Formats: sequence, structure tokens, C-alpha cells
Amino acid sequence: MRTYMLRRLFHVVPTVLMISFVVFVMMRSVPGDPVVSVLGDAYTEEDAIKAREAYGLNKPIVFQYFIWLGKLVQGDWGASILSGRPVLQDVLIRLPVTLELIVLSMGVALVIAIPAALIGALRQNTWADYTATSVAMIGVSIPEFFIGVLLLLAFSIGLGGLLPSSGWVYLPGTCPTMLCGVSLWGNMQHVLMPAFALGVGRAAILTRLLRASMLEVIRTEYVTTARAKGLSEAPVVFKHALKNALIPTVTVMGLQVGFLIGGAIVVETLFAMPGLGTFGIDAILARDYQQVQGFALITAFAFVVINLLVDLTYTFLDPRIRYS
Amino acid sequence: MANGSEPVGLKRRSISGGAGSEAGLVVATEVAWPRSAERSESPFAQGVRRLRRSTTSLIGLAIVLALVLVAIFADVLAPQSPIASDQTHTFERPSRDYPLGTDQLGRDMLSRVIHGARVSLAVGVTSVLLALLLGVPLGLVAGFYGGRLDGGIMRVMDLILAFPIYLLAIILMVIFTPTAGVIGTMKVVGAIAIVRIPIYARLVRGSVLSVKEKEFIEACRALGQRDPAIIARHVLPNCLAPIIVTTTLGIATSIIVEATLSFLGLGTQPPTPSWGWDLKANIAFIQANAWLSLFPGIAIFVTVLGFNLFGDGLRDALDPRLK
Repeated sequence: MRTYMLRRLFHVVPTVLMISFVVFVMMRSVPGDPVVSVLGDAYTEEDAIKAREAYGLNKPIVFQYFIWLGKLVQGDWGASILSGRPVLQDVLIRLPVTLELIVLSMGVALVIAIPAALIGALRQNTWADYTATSVAMIGVSIPEFFIGVLLLLAFSIGLGGLLPSSGWVYLPGTCPTMLCGVSLWGNMQHVLMPAFALGVGRAAILTRLLRASMLEVIRTEYVTTARAKGLSEAPVVFKHALKNALIPTVTVMGLQVGFLIGGAIVVETLFAMPGLGTFGIDAILARDYQQVQGFALITAFAFVVINLLVDLTYTFLDPRIRYS
Repeated sequence: MANGSEPVGLKRRSISGGAGSEAGLVVATEVAWPRSAERSESPFAQGVRRLRRSTTSLIGLAIVLALVLVAIFADVLAPQSPIASDQTHTFERPSRDYPLGTDQLGRDMLSRVIHGARVSLAVGVTSVLLALLLGVPLGLVAGFYGGRLDGGIMRVMDLILAFPIYLLAIILMVIFTPTAGVIGTMKVVGAIAIVRIPIYARLVRGSVLSVKEKEFIEACRALGQRDPAIIARHVLPNCLAPIIVTTTLGIATSIIVEATLSFLGLGTQPPTPSWGWDLKANIAFIQANAWLSLFPGIAIFVTVLGFNLFGDGLRDALDPRLK
């Protein structure tokens, strides 16, 4: 197990590097020159050449990548071409916002999905099951941003502006500068709608998967045995059935992470949140190479690590699965 | 997954066709395959029969067909031009003249929603077809021949899969530079197709790996059939069920990805009507004119729902064990 984990951790590095390299090459094939936007109206051919030299943009791409990589291992993520701000600093400021959004949305998803799936599977073909499956079907068919718009209409515009439609109030202890609003209540007000917008779709997918695998598990002989030996329904469902039914669900949830990152970009854009998603999309649109590199690095890292965690969850859910 | 997808009829034919004269084997097949009405039906007919029993999938099919008709006859159905602005009629509330109201440029929302179906469906369907066209042959070849070819193809596929899907799609769109019209739409198709090729390649490869070990493939080899013929006539048909199901559900996903790209401003550009773009553009006016964002959103939802319902029904019809 230990060697397996070490080996997997060892694989994280080349995967992340590979993704960052592909992004590096791709961004440099984007039409348009960041130097033009840096210089703006004061653009002259002479200044442009100087600026390119200053940013190292005149060297071959592979060479540029290795310069970036060399600085990276020393903890230098480079600086934004447009604003001059250090990329690592910006990423660290924005990371807590996105982490909070994603963790809460997964929480929302689990809180909705597990009861819904259990009711659906244990009361199969009753009205409760039909309700759960229909609502889940609707949930998988609505894009996050439309759920967000519906929430905005209900809670920001209707109900007398109960929840704020945009902006952010930091959780106590996460404020990156001296100048931001900090309050637990304010934070909850700001994160509630985005977390629901992102969580509902995930909840729907989870419900469908978990209900299907619960239906399979509940018919197996060991569940019958557990019931026959006189166990009450709760331990049969939670200890025996649910744990095994979670295995295929966890796999798919791992694969969903790629969509979750896109969802975070969209939801943060809609609610104007100062998170990594808005950071990334702004950087890509502005062709700010260094910022895009930082964004790709942290996203790829999160993506690979979460997939690793998913694999490790299997051993907890099913002790028969052993990695060596 | 792949084992479950094998159509009943083909297997039966290959067994009884190969050893029809051996009484013992025929008896054995009889035991393994109980007599039922389904035996005489082709797998396709069975699927259609099961599909017709499912109300929800028929509703899905009806929605899909209706949308296809709307997209094809958009010019006839739309009461006005979707791009002609009318400064005297901006922000009209829904009325008899403007059933869904007008936007900030005085454009008729109903006409925009109707024309938006074109971009949405075109991207949804074409991107999946393109991904199929490239992904299925890659999966077939990789699975059938194995070895280095398999390793090479799958490594490239894994490289694409290693990316969070939206990161790749967004960067591809920035590289392609979003534009309006048919060319703008084709760029979105290309970006989504590239991200989705590995899904089909992997799916098909998995099915091929199990199918190619089957006895009827060995029989084909013994009969002297060439590889391309075996792949086209025997391997591919046995992988079709999961491909069809994933395709239908994949269209739903592609439509959501297209809407999301448009929402981020990276889809087909204005003046070409696109639901995602309209929804985003009208959020600025949501306070007083909620319906402007509501209708494009509902259109996206109904379209995706239609494909999901139909895809679910197809999955149940073609193979109850497929997840």
C-alpha cells in the first residue's frame, strides 16, 4: 500500500508537468501578442522588441518553458505580464474562495443525493422513487449557470434581495489583504447561491448513479443474509449496502472533477466571485501567459490529486481492493 | 460493461451456424438460450419494442424531433428576423406582437430562441459525430491489434483525458478565435470534438478487447477473412449498443458544453443567435427584464432534457446492464 501510494505520488509530477507543457505551447499559439496589450497606445516596434526580450518571449518556446520550470522549482511562479503582480500571490489569494465553493457544493450534492438515492432504491417504483428520479433527471439537464440565474431571480431579485447577487465577503482568517469584508454570516450569504448552483447538478448525477448501484447491491445474497440474521434495516442499508454501492459512484465523481472546474469558472463568473475560476478565464482571455501557466498548474495538480484520492477511497470502501 | 452489450441474435447464429450438425451442441444451445418470443427477433427489433414501451424515452424522442424541425424550419417559424434590431421596441414585455418580448436592441426574443436551436443542435450533433468518426476507428484499431499501436493511440487519448475538460475546451476556443456564422459554429464543433474523441476511443477499445476473444471471431479468421472485413462486419456491430447510447447522452453533454462556452463568451459570436450568449448578455438586465434570460435558459434545459430522456430510454432498451 505504501509503495503503491509513493509510486502514484511519483506519477503526479510528470502528469502535471505534461499538462503544464501542453498548455504552455497551446497558449503561445493563440493569435495575438500580449506585448501589444501591455504597451497599448504607446506601441512602437522598438519598445515591443525590448519588452519581448524583458519577458523572455523572443526565445524558442521549449527554452521558455524550461526557464519557467527552473524558476518554478525555486518557488517563483513568475509575474503577470499585464499587471506585474506575482502569480503565486494571486493564486494563493484566490484559492480559498474556490476551495470553499467546491467543498460546499460537494456537501450540498451529498446532502441531497444520499437520501434521495436511498429513498429511490429502497422504495423502488413508488411515487417517492418517481419523484426522486424525475427531479434528478431535471437536475442533470440544467446547466449550472441557469440554476444560478434561477436562484438569482428567486433570492436576489425576488424575496426583497435576501441574498447578494455578486461579490464576496471573506471567511474570518482567509482575508488576503487588510481591506476586505470579513464575517461568517456575510460569507455564508455570498457562498450559498453559488454552492447550490454548482452542487445541484452534481447531486443529480450522484443520485442517479447511487440509486442504480444501490438497487443492484440490495438484491445481492449478502444483504439477504444480513437481513436473515436479524439485523435491523439501518445497519443493513448503511453499513452493508451503501458502502459497496458507493464504489462505482466514487469513480464517476472523480471523473466529474473536470466538469467541476468548468462549473467553478462559470459560477464564479456569474456571481462575480474573486476565485480561481474568474482568475483563470480572465488570464486566458487576456493571454497573460504567466497567469495562465499558474492557473493550469494549480488546476492540473488538483485534478490529478483528486483522482489519486478517489483511487485510495476504494480501499476504504472495499477492503478486498488492495494496491501493491 | 462490454459483455452485457452483446446482441443476443449474433451469438446464437454464430454457435448454431458453426456446429449445426452436432446434435449435442444444439441441445446445449437450447439449454443456454431459453425459448422465448424474443429469440426470433433481431436485436434491433427487440430494442425498438422495448423503447416503444417507455413513455419517458418517447417524450424525449418527441422533444428531439420537434427541436430538429424547429432548427430546420427556423426561417419559416420565426415571426421576425433574429438579428434585426428595432430601437423603437426595446425591452418589450411578452405580448401578442412579441410572445417572448424583445431585448435591449429591440430584437424579437421568440425569433432568437427559435434560431438559437440551430447553433445548439448543430454543435451538439456535429461535434459528437466528428468525435465518433475519429474516436471509433482509433478504438477499433487499438483494441483489435493491441501492442505498440494500442499503446501509442491510447497514450495520446490519455493525454487529452488528463486535462480537465473545460480547461482544454476554453484554450482551444481561444486558439481558434471565436467568430460568428457557420465558421464560428464549426470552430466550437472542433473544440468540443477534440475533447470528446478519447471517450469514444476508450469505450470502443474496451468493447473490442472482449469481442475479439469470442469464438466467432476465431471462426472468421479460420474462414480466411481479412482483418478489415472482420472489424467492419463482426467486431463493430457487436460494439454498437454502447456507442449508440453514449452518442445520444454525449449530444446532451455537448449541448451543455456549447452553452457554457457561449456563456463565457467563447462560443459562436453575435450576431448569430446562441442561447448561452443570449442568457449571459441579458443577465445585465435581469432586475427588470427577467424573462430575457429565462427563455434561452429554458430552451437549453428542454433540449438537454430531450436528449437525456431519449438516451436513458435507449440504454434501457439496448442493454439494461449498461450504466
